[in-house]
Amino acid sequence: MRPLWQIPRDCLFWLLVSVVISIGLHLEHLPPWIVLSGIVATLWQIQLYRERWRQPGRFIKWSLVGACAAGLVLHYGRISGLEPMVALLFAGYVLKLLEIHHKRDALVLLYLSYLIIILQSLFSSSIVSSLLVFCALLPVTAALVAMHADVESRRPASALRTALTMTLQAIPLMLVMFVVMPRMGSLWAVPQHSSGTTGVSDSMSPGDMTQLGRNGDVAFRVEFDGPIPEQRELYWRGLVFSGFDGRRWQQEGPWGYNDGQFLQWPDKPLEAWDKVVMRHGEPLTYRITLEATNSPWLFALSTPVSQSPTVALSRDFRLVNREPVTSKLQYSVNSWLDNQLEPDLLPGWRARLELAIPSGFNPKTIAVAQQWRQETPETEALINRLLALYHREFTYTLRPPALGKHTVDEFLWDTKKGFCEFYASSFVFFMRAAGVPARVVVGYQGGERHPTENYLLVHQYDAHAWAEVWIEGRGWLRVDPTAAVAPERIEMSFADLFNEQDDFLAASPFSLERLRHIDWLNRLRLKLDSLDYAWAKWVLGYDNRQNDFLMNLLGAVNPQRIALFIVLAGGIALLPVFIMLYLSREKNTWDQLDRLFLQFCSRLEKIGLPRKPGEGPRDYAQRIRLQAPSLAEQVDSLTRRYERARYAEQQEAEFKQFKAALSKFKPGRKDRLTRP
Amino acid sequence: MSKQSQEITAAIIERVESVLVGKQDSVRLALACLYAGGHLLIEDLPGMGKTTLAQALAAAIGLSYTRVQFTSDLLPADIIGVSVYDRNKAAFDFHPGPLFNQLVLADEINRTTPKTQSALLEAMAEGQISVEGETRQLPHPFYVIATQNPLSQSGTFPLPESQLDRFLMRLRLGYPDPEAERQLLSGADPRLKLAELKRGITPAQLEAIQAAVNQVKVSGSLVDYLQRLLQFTRSSADIEYGISPRGGIAVLKSARAWALMAGRDYVIPEDIQAIFAPVCAHRLPVSGGEHGADNFIQQALNSVDII
Repeated sequence: MRPLWQIPRDCLFWLLVSVVISIGLHLEHLPPWIVLSGIVATLWQIQLYRERWRQPGRFIKWSLVGACAAGLVLHYGRISGLEPMVALLFAGYVLKLLEIHHKRDALVLLYLSYLIIILQSLFSSSIVSSLLVFCALLPVTAALVAMHADVESRRPASALRTALTMTLQAIPLMLVMFVVMPRMGSLWAVPQHSSGTTGVSDSMSPGDMTQLGRNGDVAFRVEFDGPIPEQRELYWRGLVFSGFDGRRWQQEGPWGYNDGQFLQWPDKPLEAWDKVVMRHGEPLTYRITLEATNSPWLFALSTPVSQSPTVALSRDFRLVNREPVTSKLQYSVNSWLDNQLEPDLLPGWRARLELAIPSGFNPKTIAVAQQWRQETPETEALINRLLALYHREFTYTLRPPALGKHTVDEFLWDTKKGFCEFYASSFVFFMRAAGVPARVVVGYQGGERHPTENYLLVHQYDAHAWAEVWIEGRGWLRVDPTAAVAPERIEMSFADLFNEQDDFLAASPFSLERLRHIDWLNRLRLKLDSLDYAWAKWVLGYDNRQNDFLMNLLGAVNPQRIALFIVLAGGIALLPVFIMLYLSREKNTWDQLDRLFLQFCSRLEKIGLPRKPGEGPRDYAQRIRLQAPSLAEQVDSLTRRYERARYAEQQEAEFKQFKAALSKFKPGRKDRLTRP
Repeated sequence: MSKQSQEITAAIIERVESVLVGKQDSVRLALACLYAGGHLLIEDLPGMGKTTLAQALAAAIGLSYTRVQFTSDLLPADIIGVSVYDRNKAAFDFHPGPLFNQLVLADEINRTTPKTQSALLEAMAEGQISVEGETRQLPHPFYVIATQNPLSQSGTFPLPESQLDRFLMRLRLGYPDPEAERQLLSGADPRLKLAELKRGITPAQLEAIQAAVNQVKVSGSLVDYLQRLLQFTRSSADIEYGISPRGGIAVLKSARAWALMAGRDYVIPEDIQAIFAPVCAHRLPVSGGEHGADNFIQQALNSVDII
C-alpha cells in the first residue's frame, strides 16, 4: 500500500523519540509485550522511511488489534483499573504508529504522547519523575513544532530549540496557574493501581513482613514541631488486629464494634469517645507526609488527634483517611504519648472480642498459658515472665523456619526463631489464652533521623508489629515482645541493625540504601531525600494550603479577585516574553523625516482620513484632494516636499521646509467633505 | 532630459493611441518596457489588439520591424536565417532571418516547438545569435514583442517559467471601455492609419532616453520598500517561491523608466506599484489560475507599507 502522506523525515526523528520516551517512562507498569510491540512499530516506521518495508496491510493490522485485545484480557483479566486502562491506551498508541496516513494521524499520535507522559504522574509524583515528565514533554513539543514548521526550521536541532524556548516561556504562566487554579478535587475517580497496596496490609500472617524488610522505599516522613522523641517512643500505629483465625490476624473493623459509630470525624466529634481516653501533658505536634499506599489507614503515635478534614479517628484510636491514599498525603497530628486508653472496665462484648481465640489451634500454648496464670495471677508479672522467656530462649532473624498449622505452638515451643510478627502474634495469643485482653498492633517503629534537616524518614523496612495488653485501671499498655528478644532492634534503626544481612533490601537491588556504608553515597541519598521531601511539602502539599495562601494574597477568595490576579500575574509572568518579542521585532528604520511624515499622516487620521497600508504619498494626497479639497493645496505641497526629500535625495534642501510647513498644517474635521 | 522625454513619450502615445483606441495604460506600460530595454509579452484573446499594439509601437518608434507567425513546424533556421551556397562566389552566403530586425513581433509564440522557442529566447537574452559556429550580433536596439493566446492550449507548448522570466513585462489588453469601443466601431478601421503612422522619436533620442533611464535616482528608502515587497512574496504561504533577485532588478528598471516617462528623475513608490503587476505576475507560480497572481500582487501592494 502506498502511503497517502508521509511524515517529513525531519519530523519523524522527534516523533519516534517521543514514542520511545513515552514508552520508556511507563516501562515499569507496562506488560512486556506492549513494550515489544512499541519497539516493533517504531522499527517498522524506520524501515518504512528507509523504503525497505511497506505499510502494514489490512490483515496484519487487524491481527495486531486482535492480538493486543487478547493480550490485554489475558494479562489483566479485567478492564477497569488504572493499569489496564493505561495499557489499553498504550496499545492504541503503539498501533497508531503503524497507521500514519495523514498529517492528522501524526498529530493525534503527538497529542496522545502528551496525555501518556502526563499519566506518569498518576504513578509517581516524586521530584525525579516530575523532572522526567518535564523533559519528556520537550521532544513531543519539538515534534509538534517540526510538524508545523517550514523545511528550514524543522531540522531536529532547530525544532528542539524552538520547543525549549516555548516551554521556558510557558513556565511563568504555569506557575501562576499552579498558584491560582482551583483544585478540582475528586471530580472523577482515578482508578487504582492493580498492584495493590504497598506497605503494611490489612491482615497479618506469618512471613508477611519479610517482604517489607526487603523494601527500602520511604513509607512516610515526619516533621516534628519540637525535638524528635527517643527512638523507642516512636511506635507509629497503623492497624489494630483483634481477630485471629489460627493463622491470620485481621481487623475487627466497624462490624466488630456494634454499639455505635466506628469513625469520628473532626467536624462531628462524639463526646462519648473522649471519656474513654485520658490524655496528660502537652501534646506532640507533627506533620506526616505519607507516600501513596492505596489504603485508607494512616500512621500516628499513640493517641492522636488530627484536624485535617478528611482524617477520622477510629474507635481503636488510630487515624483513617476518607479515601484510599493514592498520592502523597500530608496531615498534621497532635499526639499525647502520656495517655491512658480505656482504663475503665471493658464492656462484656469488648472483653470477649479481645479475648477470642480460635478453637482447635495451639493446644499446648493454651495449656501452658492457663498453668502460668495459676502460678502467676498478677498480670504484670505474667507479662514479665513471658518476656523473660523470649529473652532467654529466642532468636531474632529475618529468615525464620516455616510454620505449620499450630503456628504459635510451633514457634513458642519448637523453632523459637522469628521476627516481630511472630513475637507479637504468639504474645497476644498467649495473653488471651491466659485470660488477658490483648491485641496486635501493626505499623512502623522508629525511623531514620535526617542528619541536616529536622525530619524523620520512615522506611518500609521499619514496618513492625507489637502487642497491646489491657490491664484494669491502666487501660491498654504497649508491650513489644521483640524488644525483649532483640532490644537493639528498637534502640537502633532497623537498617543499621540488618545492614550486613544479605536478605535485607533484596527487593530493591538498585536502592541507594544498599550502599549506605559508603559515606558520601549515604549523604547523597539523604540529600536527595530532603529534596524530595521539600518537593512533596511545598509543591504537592500546596493543594492543602492553597486557600490560606490565596486568602493572604488576595484578602478574599472570590472569582473576581482570582480572575484579576490571573490577568495581572499572567501579564507580569508573560512580560519577559513580550519584552523578548519587542526586542527581536524587525527594527524600524524610521528617521526624522519618516517620523514627521507619519505625524502628518496621523493628523489626517484624526480627521478620519487615515493612510492605508501600502498607499504611497502621492496616492494619499490624491485621495485627500477628493475627500478634503480645502486641504488639497497644503497636502500637495507637503507631499511634494516629502517626496523630493525622501526619493529625490534632496533631504538637506527640503527637510526644514517640510518641517516648517508641517507645523502650520492643522487639519480639522470641518475640512473633510461630508458625504452628499 | 526628463522634460524632453516626457514630451516625446506623449507624442508616441498619442500616435499609438490613434490606432489602438482607449488603451493608454497598456501603451504606457509597453513603452516603459521598451525604454527599460526589456522584451514584452502580450497575452490575450484573439482580436484584442495585440498585433495592432506591436505594429503601432514599431511604427511610432520607427524601428525596423518584422512579424513572425509562429507555427508548430517553424524551425530555428526559419527565424535565424540560413547559409545558402552561392555558386558564383563558390561560398556559403548567410541570409539573415527575421530576427535580424530591431523589433520582432513573435506572434503566438506558444504554438511553436521548444526548439524554436529557445532559439528566440537565446537571442533575447544575449542580443546575439550563433549560427554555424559564427556569432552574429543582432541590431541594436533589439526588442521582441511576443504574443500568446491563453485559450485553446491544445497543440501548444507553454513557455516554462525560466523562459517567461526573459520577458520584462507581461501585459493583458482586455476589452476596451464602452466609449472607446463605440469610437472604434463608428470610425474607420484604425488599422488603415497604421500605414500613415509617423515615427515620434529618432534612434538617437531613443538611445538617450535609455541612457537617462539608468540615471533615474533610486533612494535608499525606496530600495527598502522594494525589498520588503519582494520579501513579502517569498514569505507568503500562498506562494511556493517568491520573486527572484532578477525579478527585483526588473521591477527597479521598469520603475525607473516609468518615473522618467512621468517627467521625474527619481522613483517614487507609486512608480513601483504601477509596474509591479505587469513585471511580476508572470514570475509568480500561484495556484488558483490567472487571477491568483494578480490578486496576490494586489494583496502584497496593499499590505507592505511604503515607509
